[in-house]
Amino acid sequence: MTIEKIDLDLCTGCGICIDSCPMDVIRMDRAGQKAVIRYPQECMNCEQCALDCPEEAVTVTPYKTVPLISSWG
Amino acid sequence: MIECDVLVIGGGMAGWFAAIKAREQGLNVLLADKGYVSKSGETIYAGDTAVFDPDAGNDLAAWLEQVDVIGEYMNNRHWNELVFRDSRERLADLRSYGVQFEEKDGRVVRLPHPHANIVLPDTHKFPPTVSEVVHWLPGFPEKVRKHLIKIGVKLKDRFMVTELLLQDGRVAGAIGFSIEGNRVEVIKAKAVVMSAGGGGFRPVGYPTHELTADGHAMAYRAGATITSKEFVSPHSTNPKDPAWPPMYLFFSAGHSAAQPGMYSAPHLFNAEGDEVAARGVAWHGWIDAEYEAHEGRAPLIADLGKRGVLPVSGPGGHGSMFGHATGGIVPVNDDCATEVPGLYAAGDSCGTCFIGANYSGFGFATAHAAATGARAGLGAAAEAKGLGADGGIDEKAVAAATARLLEPLERKGGFTPNWVTQVLQNTLAPYFVLYVKHGDRLQAALSTVEFLRDHIAPKLYARDDHELRLAHETKNMILNAEMKVRSSLARTESRGTHYREDFPGRNDEEWLAWMRLKQEDGRMVTFKQPIPAEWRPDAAKSYEERYPMRLPNEVPGSGAPNAAGEGR
Amino acid sequence: MSRGTSQVRRSFEADVLVVGGGLAGCTAAIKARQTGASVILVDKGFAGKSGQTPFAGSYCVFNPEWGDDLDAWMEQVSSIGESVNDRVWTELCFRESYERYLELLSWGVRFGADGDARAGVEPQRDGPPVGPCKAAMMETRAPSMTLRRQVLKHGATIVDRTMIVELLTSGGQVVGAAGIPADAEDAVDIFTAKAVVLAAGAGGFRPGRWPIDNLTSDADCMAYRVGAEITGKEFADPHHARLDQAASVMFGRYGRDPEGGGPPRGRFLDSDGHPLPPMGVLDLDLDRAVHAGHGPLFIEMPDGVRWPMVGGAAGGMSVHKAEGIRPAGTDCSCNVAGLYAAGDSLGTMQSGATYAAIGQSVLGCSVTGAHAGAGAAAYAARAGGPAHPAGADVERAAEAITAPLRRSGGFGPRWVTQMLQNTVLPYYVLHIKHGDRLRAALANVEFFRDHLVPKLYATDQHELRLVHETRNMVLNAEMRLRASLFRTETRGCHYREDFPVRDDGQWLAWVILRRAGDGMELFKRPVSAEHRPLTAGGVQ
Repeated sequence: MTIEKIDLDLCTGCGICIDSCPMDVIRMDRAGQKAVIRYPQECMNCEQCALDCPEEAVTVTPYKTVPLISSWG
Repeated sequence: MIECDVLVIGGGMAGWFAAIKAREQGLNVLLADKGYVSKSGETIYAGDTAVFDPDAGNDLAAWLEQVDVIGEYMNNRHWNELVFRDSRERLADLRSYGVQFEEKDGRVVRLPHPHANIVLPDTHKFPPTVSEVVHWLPGFPEKVRKHLIKIGVKLKDRFMVTELLLQDGRVAGAIGFSIEGNRVEVIKAKAVVMSAGGGGFRPVGYPTHELTADGHAMAYRAGATITSKEFVSPHSTNPKDPAWPPMYLFFSAGHSAAQPGMYSAPHLFNAEGDEVAARGVAWHGWIDAEYEAHEGRAPLIADLGKRGVLPVSGPGGHGSMFGHATGGIVPVNDDCATEVPGLYAAGDSCGTCFIGANYSGFGFATAHAAATGARAGLGAAAEAKGLGADGGIDEKAVAAATARLLEPLERKGGFTPNWVTQVLQNTLAPYFVLYVKHGDRLQAALSTVEFLRDHIAPKLYARDDHELRLAHETKNMILNAEMKVRSSLARTESRGTHYREDFPGRNDEEWLAWMRLKQEDGRMVTFKQPIPAEWRPDAAKSYEERYPMRLPNEVPGSGAPNAAGEGR
Repeated sequence: MSRGTSQVRRSFEADVLVVGGGLAGCTAAIKARQTGASVILVDKGFAGKSGQTPFAGSYCVFNPEWGDDLDAWMEQVSSIGESVNDRVWTELCFRESYERYLELLSWGVRFGADGDARAGVEPQRDGPPVGPCKAAMMETRAPSMTLRRQVLKHGATIVDRTMIVELLTSGGQVVGAAGIPADAEDAVDIFTAKAVVLAAGAGGFRPGRWPIDNLTSDADCMAYRVGAEITGKEFADPHHARLDQAASVMFGRYGRDPEGGGPPRGRFLDSDGHPLPPMGVLDLDLDRAVHAGHGPLFIEMPDGVRWPMVGGAAGGMSVHKAEGIRPAGTDCSCNVAGLYAAGDSLGTMQSGATYAAIGQSVLGCSVTGAHAGAGAAAYAARAGGPAHPAGADVERAAEAITAPLRRSGGFGPRWVTQMLQNTVLPYYVLHIKHGDRLRAALANVEFFRDHLVPKLYATDQHELRLVHETRNMVLNAEMRLRASLFRTETRGCHYREDFPVRDDGQWLAWVILRRAGDGMELFKRPVSAEHRPLTAGGVQ
């Protein structure tokens, strides 16, 4: 669904994808070395992260799973 | 056209017994199921059945008292007694069909009611339970299937009945289709037993996923009266595996170490770390959990003892399958005949009001299904025998029913059943619609359901036989939704699993009555059926004695609140 | 479970605070700076890459030297916008479009099919076949960084990844704002400013799809809470997507290559294979076809490939330049002193009851951004010394903003958002409307507002953002439903099944919403007499 993967072998930790994301989906890892997908639920599939990543480390697909409904949560 | 004496629709416990008992009368019996008999319905997920046995020391008065108190006087004592008295024979029947039970020294092991041994906080005294259950061993549905075939019941698997056919005001058969190949067939029958279960709004997981209140919907359309749709059975699940069987949570603390053969129920804690007022632990449908969420104290967690803790989320669109053996088609006699001549009802399709406003005893649903199934089978057989030469079914009526059945396939476009089901779930699944209810929200839901009924349902389309089934199930769910919402709106009090935020108290003066509904001039009307005076709670008893279980937000010891909730 | 009060607090001060870093916000910041005012631009994402601007592809530009006829262009907008466009703003935008276009060129934004447009030379322009208005093709995405660089070059300060949640007022005028930074836990940012420009876009109900998913009507809601007039909430802009790529709205809708841009190429077919009118009243015709039972719809590409479609892709978005904070004058001020708005946050009604000309949205952002920036700076200059919000007010705001972090439980923002979506996203609520269904949805939304929103809780700063966005979406839903109920006629993108015709006698008017105590007040404000169509007066 939507943002699928950040290839950590390719990621240089530049942080561009974090700036590219209007939804705060991506954050730096604790060590501040690599970008990680923190809040995938909020991904809106705009692909700005993938298009902006200089290393082509981010994979985004146009498929999104609709959350199952629950009576509260 | 297929002809038979007795057509049984739905092959769970009730349908099995109906088919077997009718067949034993020497009749030509056809059992149709939209799934595969022995893999379909809720029976196969049940682990036990209640058996009343005076020889084992069971006291009928005590058993009835249990149902009265937990069922909050919405139970039908006459049916309670019939089912309890029948239960020993039904157990013997099942054994004779080859079903194996947990036995010791050649005798079936009787186990006390699981809740009898659960220790609850002092402030939440649970009414005493006296009913007992027996456990069957795995593989029992297959055993019954074999028996059905052996004695000559004709099975029609993967055949969905969509409509009852009437001739001169009486049921003369049904029409349906094979869900592979959408072959339409008319089944002519002298009597029909409806035992297609209850239904919810297609929750994520089993066991109610396949049950879409088909029996209630078909009978309603044929003119039957339906009862007690306002009571619900919200089974919570967990957000990690929402499709996991909701039963998991009920017993998930495992078998009790102290009491071999007994279950432990999990303790439930709210976000503030307080134990949720365990009015009835898991058993009473988790209205407590729903109310905790409503009050802003979710997320909840279940403490499973050795198995750790599990987050709890609301029912995944169970959308209230109702309590078993309460709501359904109203029977008019002990043979489970209904107001529609030729139509009998059994099991969860049959609205005996057996269990009342709460699920009042483990194993009651299966005991009720067995008893009503056997009675309906015998009643239908007797009626079929009494009928002379076959009457026909009007060809025009058959043609019209066929057209209605196939209409979704004829349409090139419109709305897909999956989308409509989703919209229906969105409308009804949130806790604040059918669990923590309020007139304004019920009215809002009703507006949407009416729109779905009038505008969307007629435009449902199906691209293949699989979607044809879905289209008809969706129509039935929309009708079921209307029944549940209208009944919930009409009952202006709170009782058992029916909780109205705007009428938060019980109201014995107005509401010791069953809520019925039926079709009149094409419209759904609701009306009250008073409960016989002799079955009402003893007015000499204090409110707390009559109602030992607290409603949400009801302060113990505060006396009887009135229905408007004043004095709280 | 409650946390301590070790709240992180940052403070900022400027003459002008601009909220939102799309084209409108960036332009406003630059224009305010050009007058000498100190400017802070704050964005809940990354200024430049946030909002809808990165996805824009065309800019409506009017130039008599290229043979454009102002009367004809005005007529197109009035006709398609069904006479409820504000002709003052429509004309102003056209007249200033070339100047703004030259400025964008000078900043480095690239126009024309080859991206090589030069000042004075007509770039390749496109327009729908319905009228004379034309738009220059604009490079997508790249202007984001171009604009950001210009903002910085002009000396404005940029604060990224802070969501402004509330406006701060003193003596009835706006004197700053409070927000939450994404990257610090339990943190609040306080901004003090003499004037505030809201340029935070419009919003939908988080359909899960770009380009609208991050926009939650934050500006309208903040402004509403301090008493501003809001307009145009009844007009909906239904978008559609390909069923198999439902999260990819624009691709599905236009069948265009996401890399290549360009105009729509596909055509719509109903379930019988009959073509549907191309882009009648936006995509509302598609919803009507579905309502009549002619779904599923397909988009057919020139090569014959057909994709099934789904609706609701924009999730309740309204029409660009037809909703927002109603301006009190061409300086983009409103009825609340010190508050300005620009872009999709400003309800100029430049477009009217539907989207009347391609490229009008970007044009409106550019023009209103310039006006708002200049207007706010002028107001700040007149204001003299800094007016600070009262300390107690700041504390109250900070406490209220972060309260969801201190609740141990309640309702999660994602779940409440889902409930809201379930209530308002089906086509038959805000696209094909009916009084009964609108009232049913309103009953739910009122319950969300009164019972669920006060119990929203957040487990971290990310969820705190979601909480405030959800709260804004609930308010936006109430506005949309009430405005839709109020306008008892059909016009443009507002379609009432129970009032299916236009009623010029009653409804050559704008619906204005305003907070009145705890309630929402609605009234209509007539389109000025000289701007009405000659046939006005009867039911059409």
